[in-house]
Amino acid sequence: MIWDALTDPVLRAPTLGSMLMCLASALVGVIVVLRKRSLVGEALSHAAYPGVVLAALFTALFFPDSEDGFAFIILIGAFLSALLGLWTIELLQTKFRVKADAALCFVLSVFFGCGILIASRVQFTHPLWYQKIQMFLYGQAATMTDQHVVIYGSLCLLTVLFIALLYHPIQAVSFDRDFAKSTGIAVQWLEGATFFLLVLAIVIGIRSVGVVLMSGMLIAPVVAAKQWTHRLFTLFVLSALFGTLSGFFGNYFSTEIPRWVSGKFSLPTGPMILLCASLFCFFSLLLSPGSGLLSRCFRIYKFRRKCRQENVLKAYWKGDEPDASRFFLWILYMQGWLRKDGAGYHLSPDGRHRAAQIVRLHRLWEVYLVDYMGQGVERVHRNAEEMEHILTPELEKELTILLQDPKRDPHHQPIPGKEGL
Amino acid sequence: MIKNPYWGKDFFSFFSLFFQRLFTGEVFTGDLASDEVQMFVLMLIAAATSIVGTFLVLKKMTMLANSLSHTLLLGLVAAFIIIQPLSWEEGLNFSTLLIASLVAGLATTFLTDGLTRYLRVQEDASIGLVFTTLFALSIVLVTVFTKNVHLGIEAVMGNVDALHKEDLKLIFGIALGDLLVVSLFFKELKIVAFDPGLASSQGISPNFFNALLMILTAATSIGAFRAVGVLLVLAFLVGLPLTARLLTHRLHLLIPLAAGIGVLCSLVAVALSRHFLSVYQVPLSTAGLVTMTIALAYVISLSLSRCSGKGKTV
Repeated sequence: MIWDALTDPVLRAPTLGSMLMCLASALVGVIVVLRKRSLVGEALSHAAYPGVVLAALFTALFFPDSEDGFAFIILIGAFLSALLGLWTIELLQTKFRVKADAALCFVLSVFFGCGILIASRVQFTHPLWYQKIQMFLYGQAATMTDQHVVIYGSLCLLTVLFIALLYHPIQAVSFDRDFAKSTGIAVQWLEGATFFLLVLAIVIGIRSVGVVLMSGMLIAPVVAAKQWTHRLFTLFVLSALFGTLSGFFGNYFSTEIPRWVSGKFSLPTGPMILLCASLFCFFSLLLSPGSGLLSRCFRIYKFRRKCRQENVLKAYWKGDEPDASRFFLWILYMQGWLRKDGAGYHLSPDGRHRAAQIVRLHRLWEVYLVDYMGQGVERVHRNAEEMEHILTPELEKELTILLQDPKRDPHHQPIPGKEGL
Repeated sequence: MIKNPYWGKDFFSFFSLFFQRLFTGEVFTGDLASDEVQMFVLMLIAAATSIVGTFLVLKKMTMLANSLSHTLLLGLVAAFIIIQPLSWEEGLNFSTLLIASLVAGLATTFLTDGLTRYLRVQEDASIGLVFTTLFALSIVLVTVFTKNVHLGIEAVMGNVDALHKEDLKLIFGIALGDLLVVSLFFKELKIVAFDPGLASSQGISPNFFNALLMILTAATSIGAFRAVGVLLVLAFLVGLPLTARLLTHRLHLLIPLAAGIGVLCSLVAVALSRHFLSVYQVPLSTAGLVTMTIALAYVISLSLSRCSGKGKTV
């Protein structure tokens, strides 16, 4: 059963561990994505790699027996080296005026290259430790113990606490930096703290997600969550939820898939976790009610159909032959806009009313364009053809008052009156 | 297996032997030693990447190159699935290369663009999302197909020692292709890089040349991929033009200068790698060494440009 992953004594620690790690990165990701700095995460996660390698070398040389100490030293090493990376990026950008993207790429590759260089030395002298370092490339949660979970859990708690305490300043800075500055928030300090937090989240996350894919876990849960809400608090909660769920399922599938294909190999957790997060993201982008692709397509389709319907009704009103299929007309008939008599359709009272309304909007808009926008009489028809479907009753009221309820349009056609106005 | 003449040489005797072999023509007539293969491959990579990388840096497209260097693993997986069963060791032939770079280049560009345009994801997030997802997918595919975790690791770290003469031919072809395309469209690329508005007003489509540049980048990174891995290609692509940019601000000098620095760095790195092996008996990753040499070259150029007061900015 899938829930065994949470209760089984061997599987419990890795599962909980990856869930906690993804929780931290999903939370911090919200801040970074809102500030549109998410690619900094990409550079910093790679910049953490030489720290990991050096920490392993350090442990191998001085504390070769200490298993828990190793986890701790690696955290410190990764943290310091990511901070150094951050500092170098800032230095390149501000002092040497390298463009942001080039600075990120340069730091990313140089730090990673440095890591690889030291790793090749470790591989030669301490092959066992080299194996442990490689886990940090793509993440490997399977070897985590309860002690690790405690370490990572408390760091994760630290992140949550930090965000909870600074929630209001973070909110202000994320949406309006200048406003935040004017209300006396120490923006510079807060941004520094945010980067600190980002480094922390990366350091926490690389154990299960790995340095190569870490930046994805800062982005994917947030993009998924953004589809469902416009409120910052809900965004944090949803992003944390998506992150934690991807941590759970990613870890689960990374142990299950090798079993399914009956292979004696281990699948790194990082790619699986990230794929789960991307799936959440994909379905959110597709299905979310407000801004999802499907709902947007549906809204566009509905609007187009409304326009066509109104054009057909308008054609009947003017006495023209409508340009529509029999099926389309039949639907209008079933909806009660048209009436049947012997040879064909004609407008029902409702339909007549609606068609007159459309024509009224069309001609009012034409008057407005000519009188107030100073456009030529012969040029206003095309624009009014579009606006007639868009104008709301409120705007119609405004136009009626502004134009003093005109009776004729610029082409000297009568404008249907507004009953009860 | 012939005996490697460079065995046991230190840094300086490495160079003296290399130049001796170069001038006597032994390099061209006899068998290439593995050190020489590495060196020439790295030099050609340096040349090819500086041609492409210069434009990437100028157009601020390096983050797209970063994402491309990740997604080309998916391109390779796709090519192997289409053409042949997954066999990594044999190296790459031309059709694999073509399919892989087209798949990677086009998939990255269109997916990233589509996410921003149709799904309204902000730009930085869509770049990050696309390449991490595709990379994760390809790592899972590679691992499941070959039942081996090792290839995924080699993909990001590169393996200079596994290079052979076939790689040399391939990367030579790529470098030549880059040179040809860029010299053919030099004027167009230049205009697009510096003033896209002017370019489109003159009937030069920036989109077309962006796509062209992405495909060139994809092909170049794939050529470099076996040697230095997907990530260290970036050090070449970004580091060399940045370094050269400190020394000159003329575009037609920038590319040869970047290539020259790259060639020098590769030479030094391979010699250093041999030196460490001979003198300290420590085998170090040549790919890592090249990256560090490029970083060092950047620092040296930085101090040079500071001293002469001609500090140029990118």
